[in-house]
Order: sequence, then C-alpha cells, then structure tokens
Amino acid sequence: MDTPHAAPLEAIAGFAALLREHGLAVGVAEQQAMVHAALAVPLSRSATLDAGWRAIACRDARDWRAWPELFERYWHPERLKGTVRTSQRTRPARDLRQVVQALQTSLGAPGARPADTALHTDAGETEEAAAPRARGGASRTEALHDRSLSEWLPQDLATLQKLAEDIARRLRRRLTRRRHAHPRGARLDLRRTLRASLATGGTPVRPAWQRPRRERPRLYVLVDVSRSMQTHAQLFLRIARAFVEPAQARVFVFHTRLAEVTPLLRRDSPTVQEKVNAVSAGFGGGTRIATSLSDFHGTHVRGALGRDARVWVLSDGFDADPPERLAQELATIRALGARVTWFHPSPQPPASEAITAARPLIGRFVRLNSLRDLAAAPLQ
Amino acid sequence: MTDAELRERLQQAGYVCDEALATTLWLAGELERPLLLEGDAGVGKTALALGLARATGRRLVRLQCHEGIDLAQAAYEWNYGRQLLAIRVSEADGARAAEADLFARDYLLERPLLQAIASEQPCVLLIDEVDRADEAFEAFLLEVLADWQITVPELGTLAARHVPMAVLTSNGTRELSDALRRRCLYHWLDYPTLARELAIVRATLPQAESALVEQAVSFVQRLRREDLGKTPGVAETLDWIRALHRMKMRALPDDPHALVATLGCLLKTREDRFQMAPERLGQLLEGRRAGVAEKG
Repeated sequence: MDTPHAAPLEAIAGFAALLREHGLAVGVAEQQAMVHAALAVPLSRSATLDAGWRAIACRDARDWRAWPELFERYWHPERLKGTVRTSQRTRPARDLRQVVQALQTSLGAPGARPADTALHTDAGETEEAAAPRARGGASRTEALHDRSLSEWLPQDLATLQKLAEDIARRLRRRLTRRRHAHPRGARLDLRRTLRASLATGGTPVRPAWQRPRRERPRLYVLVDVSRSMQTHAQLFLRIARAFVEPAQARVFVFHTRLAEVTPLLRRDSPTVQEKVNAVSAGFGGGTRIATSLSDFHGTHVRGALGRDARVWVLSDGFDADPPERLAQELATIRALGARVTWFHPSPQPPASEAITAARPLIGRFVRLNSLRDLAAAPLQ
Repeated sequence: MTDAELRERLQQAGYVCDEALATTLWLAGELERPLLLEGDAGVGKTALALGLARATGRRLVRLQCHEGIDLAQAAYEWNYGRQLLAIRVSEADGARAAEADLFARDYLLERPLLQAIASEQPCVLLIDEVDRADEAFEAFLLEVLADWQITVPELGTLAARHVPMAVLTSNGTRELSDALRRRCLYHWLDYPTLARELAIVRATLPQAESALVEQAVSFVQRLRREDLGKTPGVAETLDWIRALHRMKMRALPDDPHALVATLGCLLKTREDRFQMAPERLGQLLEGRRAGVAEKG
C-alpha cells in the first residue's frame, strides 16, 4: 500500500472517487481545481483546504450537507466513531498536511510533472478501477433506487427531490392562445413596436416580438391516508411534497373526507407530518374515494379543472362508497378534460369492484413502490 | 493577500464572515472563478459582495436579475436614438453616415456585464438573484463567466482587462443549470451562529446597548428554531435592533405585549404573526432570562 505523501495526486483522486460514489459531480476539471487550490494554499493553513475543496466540489445544498462527513471519512477516519469502511480506497491515517506538502514539493518544483496530465491519468485509472465494482452489483445508486419506499432513509429524499424536478420538467407544456413578449418570437407585437418607436422619432428601429405562451399542466395529487394505506401514506405524502415546488402541485389527503395540505407541505419543517396528521385526524374510519373525488372537483378545484389538469391519485383503490360512484366521479373529472393517473403500491393494479368499473376512465395505472418505479413512470 | 488578511479586511469593511467563507472567497480570486452563493433570504449573500468591494477597494458592478432579463439589459445595447440622430445630422449636412462609424464603441451603451468586462480597474461583479433570470440568459452568462469575454457581433469579442471577482447569488426559486454550477465555486450561506450574529450586529450598530444586542440576538436565534413560514434573517435582526434602539430601549422588556408592535421587523407573514402570540413570545423571552442568568 502506497503512503499518502508519496502519491498525493492519487490521494486526491481517491478522494474525488469517494465524492463521485456519493453523487457529487467531481470530474477532471474539479480535480484540477482541487490540486490548484492545494498548491495555492500555504502549508501552515492546509486545514482551510476543507472549505476550499468544498466550494469546488459541491454544486448544491445537498452536496453541501453531505460534504463534512465525506471529508472526515476520507481524511480523518479516526475521528468518525462507529463507521464502517464502505470503500476499498478509504485507507486510514491520511494526513492532509502531508499530502499538500508532497504536492507542493513535487508539483511546485520546476520540471515537475504537470498536475493536469497527472490527474488525467489518475482519474482515468480510478474510474477504470471503480467500474468493475459497480458492474459487480451492489452499487450505491442501484441499491437506493430499488429500495422499497418503506425502507427509505432520510438521504433518499434528496434523490426523490431531483427526480421530482426532472419529472416536473418533462410534463408537457401546453400551447395556449395567449401570447407573450419574447425576443425571438415569430410574430410582431405591433402595439409595443409602435410605442417603442416614439423614442426614435417614429422610426421602428427596435421591433417587439411575441410568441404563444406555453403553460405547464396543473398538477393535483390526491393521497389516500386511510388505514389500509397506513404503511404507504407517509411516503406517498413525501412524494407528493416533492412535486409541490417544482411542479406547483396542489396536494390533497383523503380517506372519508378530503382536505388540502399544500400550504403545509410548502414549509420545510420537521413538524409537517404532525400537521398533516392533525388535518386528517378528524376523519372517520374507512375510505370513501368517490365522495372525496366529488368533494375535490365540486368544491376544492371547482372551475379550475380543465384540459391542462393532471390528477394523480395515490391509493390502493379500496373504496367504501358504492362501486359505481367512483366511475361517475371520474367521468365528471374526465369530462372536464383532466387526465387521471392512478398510482398503486401493489405489483398489480387494484382489482376492487370500483376500480374495475372505472378502469376505462383512468388513463394510466402506475406501480409506485420504489424510486425506480417513479423514474420509469411514463408521465407526460 | 491571504485568506486571513481578506477576512480581516472584510471585518474592517463591516462584513463578519467565518474562516471557511473567507477561504472560499480567497480561492475564488486565486482560481479566477465566480462564486455562487446560495442560502435563505436575508443571510447576507448580497451584503457579502458589497463588503468584498469595500474590503478590496474595488468598484461594485451590480446586475439585478429578473424574469425576462435579456442581453440589452445585462450586457450591452446600441444607442439607437443617438445613431438615428447621427444619421439625420449627416443627411442634413448632405453627407452619408458610414455604417462603421455608427457601430463604434461611442454608440454602445454598456450594461453591467460589459462594464465589468471593460473596466479599467479590477472590480467586483455582483449578479444578484440569478435564479430569477430565464434559462436562456443563464446560457449567455456561461461565456462571460467561463472566458470573461463578451462577443458583440458588430465589434468582435471584448475580453476582460482584469478578471472581475464575480459573486452570483441565488435564493433557489429555480434550479440552476449544471453548466452554470460547474463554472462556479459554491458556498451555502447559513444563518449565522450566535457569536457571529452578535459580532455582525455590534459591527453594524455600535451605538446600540450591549445588553439589548445580546438579548435581542439570543431571542432571534431562538425564534429561528420555531416553525415559521419565513425565518428572519440577519437583515431582519438588524432592522429589529435598530427599531428597539430608536425606541430608547436598553434591554428587552419583560412584558411580551411591549414587543408585539415591533415584531413587524422580524415576522413578515400573517401566519407567523398569528403563531407568535404574546404567550409564545413570553416563553421565548423567558428563555432569554434563563440564558442570561446562567451566563451571569
């Protein structure tokens, strides 16, 4: 095993590999910047590299939060209590100061091997070395994606949030008849052009353009929080919550009645779940999906449902209302132009009498039991 | 200048920052990379750029982003009125205006990005609330932030004389592109610790009573742990203490009702005001007294 100070670039490349394993986008350019930073910082202040490298390697708040533990794990594993080595590259007794010193001695000297070339090789080797391990299964990302929703860890929420943002972007924007000003629009905005021409003595030097406005679909998420959904409701709510910001979704919970919880989900607070529980605490036993849907289109979103609406129902489909009522309520929603997608936790779509009767009115059934299911869902 | 010196200068300029932020700022200068600052509203992102300009004695060039911002507002614009006037004057003289003359630097209106690039002296470029701008504008920023140059088709490429110290701020209202993030160093600015916030208030409001500052800052720190819709930032703390000082208060009053009227400085939504009823305020204030007693 090579000592860290003998191979400072390898030590940094190993650190970069660890960061990559944990989802940080650290490429060759970032590694180069890290080496430059290590060369720029005075040896006596090598401890400040933590902050410098953090700024280079992190891209967002998720990376920022993950950093301290990763840095400690790689450079100071002795400080972490009760941790298990998860990477073969995580070797004990790495001394950041020694690495910086070795780096400054070898690369700071004239005629030394250029940092960029050296890093390129190291990064390549590291990636090659990492690849077979990933192919051998049990890679971190795979495990996370396949993990059932009931076994989620808090850090999976960040992955969910990114996924929700991707899906929100994918939701097809609908062309409207309204137009808005746009520098690369295809149609002349005569009124604004003439108004602007007053500044140049009536000569329309700067034409104003406009193009049709595209609006993102309105997303309504209805989460079943009845007893039969007890094990899934909390996680379904988390999924619903992930869409509140990126897709401007409105979220409702129901079992015997329906209540909107969007304002509660907008807050990033640990007490959100308690508040949602408080909202739904007064509900009686059983699940009345049809009644809740009636309440949904008749009261809560009355007049707002249209062709641009997407209604996602997250439920196991067990309904205490008369079976034919679900089809009636869904028919009303469909008649307004909204598309209905039914998410179910079971491997097969729900086969209850109510769902069977309403099947033609439900655009799509999507199994939702892991992030992979959500990622693969054909949502448009 | 080392990172420690930069930190010292920032302190003198009225911006109290921790070691990690000072190192990041210094590194951004060393690597000639822009710094992307994210964090909740009111934690001092914009103030950092202002402080940096003061600390380094550089001119601050500020670009406030908003929805629909375009090249003409951010980088440059031809002075159409002046061009037209020149054409009319030439026509009156019986001459014909040369096209090359009309597209000279004289007729170019420099907007913040071009001002920063063309500046004779090194400057600090603040691109504020970049998340409010459109994605297309973000793509344009890539050329400026990666190569420190702006291409004006009629004139050619204008490269920076001095690479500006660029600070981009974002409140996270929209996810920024990976390409933009890659070009920047990143720093998440959190709410300050008690000690740092005390230092900030003392540096900004040296005239306020020490006991008032200590108690008010402790109160705000406790208030931030409440489940509020809009958590008060440093700016709100400063506003509130400034207001209390104007009201000739030397310490926080024992009666929470006396504070209710001033809470508009800290709590900015109706729900938060409703949640912080005098009873809850009283509990938070009692926390203050307990803290002070322990300290004494």
